[in-house]
Amino acid sequence: MAVPFWEILNRSKASPIVEEKEYDLALFKKTQELQKKFGIRYDPAKPLDVEGDLADRVYAAGRELFLDLGTYCTTTRRVIKFSAEELRMEVQSRPEAVEMGQGRDRVRMAHREVEGRQEPVVIAGIQTAPFSDEEMMFKISRGCAMDGCVDGIWGGILLKIDGKYDVVAGSPSEIYQYRKTTEILRRAIAAAGRPGMILFNNAPTSIATIALFDEEKGLRRSDSMEVTGMSELKVAYDDLNRTAFALAYGVPIHGAHSSTIGGFSGNPEGAAIAAVAGSLQLIAVQKADSFRCGVTDSRIKSRVSRAQLWAAGTAIQGISRNARLIIDGSIGDHPAAGPGTRQYLYEAAAGFIVSTVMGAHSTGGTRKFVVGNVPNYGTPLESRWMGEVCKGTAGMSRAQAEPLIKYLLDKYEDKLKDAPAGETFEKLYDPEGMEPIPSYRKIYDEVKAELRERGLSFRDEKE
Amino acid sequence: MDQATTPQAEKELLDSLKVAIVEIDNERAREAARKVITAGIDPRKAISYSIKEAADEVGKKFDCGDLFIAHLVMVGDLMDEVSAILEENIPSDQLTKKRIIVIATVQGDVHSVGKNLVSVVLRAGGFEVHDLGVDVPSFQIIQRAKEVKADMIALSSLLTTTMPYQKEVIEDLTSMGLRSRFKVMIGGGPVTREYAVQIGADGYGKDAFEAVEEAKRVLA
Repeated sequence: MAVPFWEILNRSKASPIVEEKEYDLALFKKTQELQKKFGIRYDPAKPLDVEGDLADRVYAAGRELFLDLGTYCTTTRRVIKFSAEELRMEVQSRPEAVEMGQGRDRVRMAHREVEGRQEPVVIAGIQTAPFSDEEMMFKISRGCAMDGCVDGIWGGILLKIDGKYDVVAGSPSEIYQYRKTTEILRRAIAAAGRPGMILFNNAPTSIATIALFDEEKGLRRSDSMEVTGMSELKVAYDDLNRTAFALAYGVPIHGAHSSTIGGFSGNPEGAAIAAVAGSLQLIAVQKADSFRCGVTDSRIKSRVSRAQLWAAGTAIQGISRNARLIIDGSIGDHPAAGPGTRQYLYEAAAGFIVSTVMGAHSTGGTRKFVVGNVPNYGTPLESRWMGEVCKGTAGMSRAQAEPLIKYLLDKYEDKLKDAPAGETFEKLYDPEGMEPIPSYRKIYDEVKAELRERGLSFRDEKE
Repeated sequence: MDQATTPQAEKELLDSLKVAIVEIDNERAREAARKVITAGIDPRKAISYSIKEAADEVGKKFDCGDLFIAHLVMVGDLMDEVSAILEENIPSDQLTKKRIIVIATVQGDVHSVGKNLVSVVLRAGGFEVHDLGVDVPSFQIIQRAKEVKADMIALSSLLTTTMPYQKEVIEDLTSMGLRSRFKVMIGGGPVTREYAVQIGADGYGKDAFEAVEEAKRVLA
């Protein structure tokens, strides 16, 4: 790494204090300036940049944004900056591949090219969602882990300790319960016959996340440490605690940052630029080996609106074309619609197709965008869908993907604000948790057939 | 009203102030506010009409994607500036005190986007807002609410494991004998109206714009 982690901490204390509002407004103004300077324009008629020239300009603009503004440290209210040479060296020093998992479940997560034939790594499971009890969490997680299209699974949370006591972030209950859920995950993947499978889990606070690492019962060095960059281009010491531990313990670091359409990134063009800058922050400040390059929208509770697909897809493509980094797209991981609905499958497919075609893996898991505290709000079939779409899309060209994305957008984009809620696991699966009910299986098969007819070649048909 | 200021001219002046705010033209807005004063128009009319209408229009433009959160922040700053010019010319006993809201994302939760949005929309909606940021402990929220003599505490939580901190603030207020002094409104991704009722909150906002209406209702 070009700039040692301890130098990052030093910089977080060395520069003058800046008010957060001042930084936010500077970010907004700069993203607006950069889109003019680099001629970046979002055309809703073209949800994918099929040529790549625009993506290159988004990358250049994002790089300039990061160099110009730096990262805002909310703990010290100071800005952490890099020189162009330091950033170049940070990007060059990152690995082109990391290996995760153990034994025959070990996978290599490498830099992917745009339209690359290399299958993306898929980390599925119902990401960070609540489960009603241990048995239900075990059953659902085992079902997700059994799928051959899935390389790893995410953990969730049991809402009550002993069915009685609240789990509260930042309190001892958080450490206890997140450890407990990780133990359940480990039992679930063993029961699925994949004991070396990658596990992702992430508690709200760094102390509880660090406490998850336990080679016997918890997360292992062969899994991953999740670090988060706050929107937009911000970091707190609690995030940096995770990096400090991961560097000392020797576990790959996976970062996540999302810019926000309607937020301080402004329009979709600004969000694409800030998504690149946020990814560079994860590399340079938080020392991520791989990272999620994401875009949210302050008005829409989904990640796959037309503008989001364009912004995230263009940012991912820009990074993939200009740096040999390991990118996570995961755009389809948070549909507005709930499990058991056609719309969920359409939304998820659109996001995962764009992620894969543009050169990314997908490690964000599956879940409805808003689950509230409703437990068991997801099933293994969404994990299968994520895996099937991601693996099936490998090798697809942007030109092939574009009509497919337009077809999918036509199916759901006017329903994002009033999406069907879907059902919980209990209503969608048999009591043993092994098979979906026939009506859900039918929807799945029909949507799969629709995509197959439009050129998506699923893995089971390729083999 | 100045002898020369006809109802038509008054309407034009008040509209020009509104438009200047919506267009975030600081110089033009300041100038229009000064003209309102020199024309002898009751500055309270400019506050209740020009600023309120501007806030509503900006909210609509944000909702349909024409404006972004940064614009709302800038509009909020401009409204404060224009209000100050107008309020200087209102006798202190006739000044309508702004309702004060302290807002924070609760302890253990660093999600800021939704809270920031509610904060700026409340400000644009005419409230005096004190934004304490993210990951703020209950005692700190209550302390600040006491210091600024807040009317309401607004609490955001994006995680199921931080929702109990919303309840904690209400419980702490009760145990400190302060519950009746502050209204409490809650919101955030996993939070529902049912949960708000369950923990004894006074209000709930599904999104930023509902939060403004809810705050007005609760503080009416």
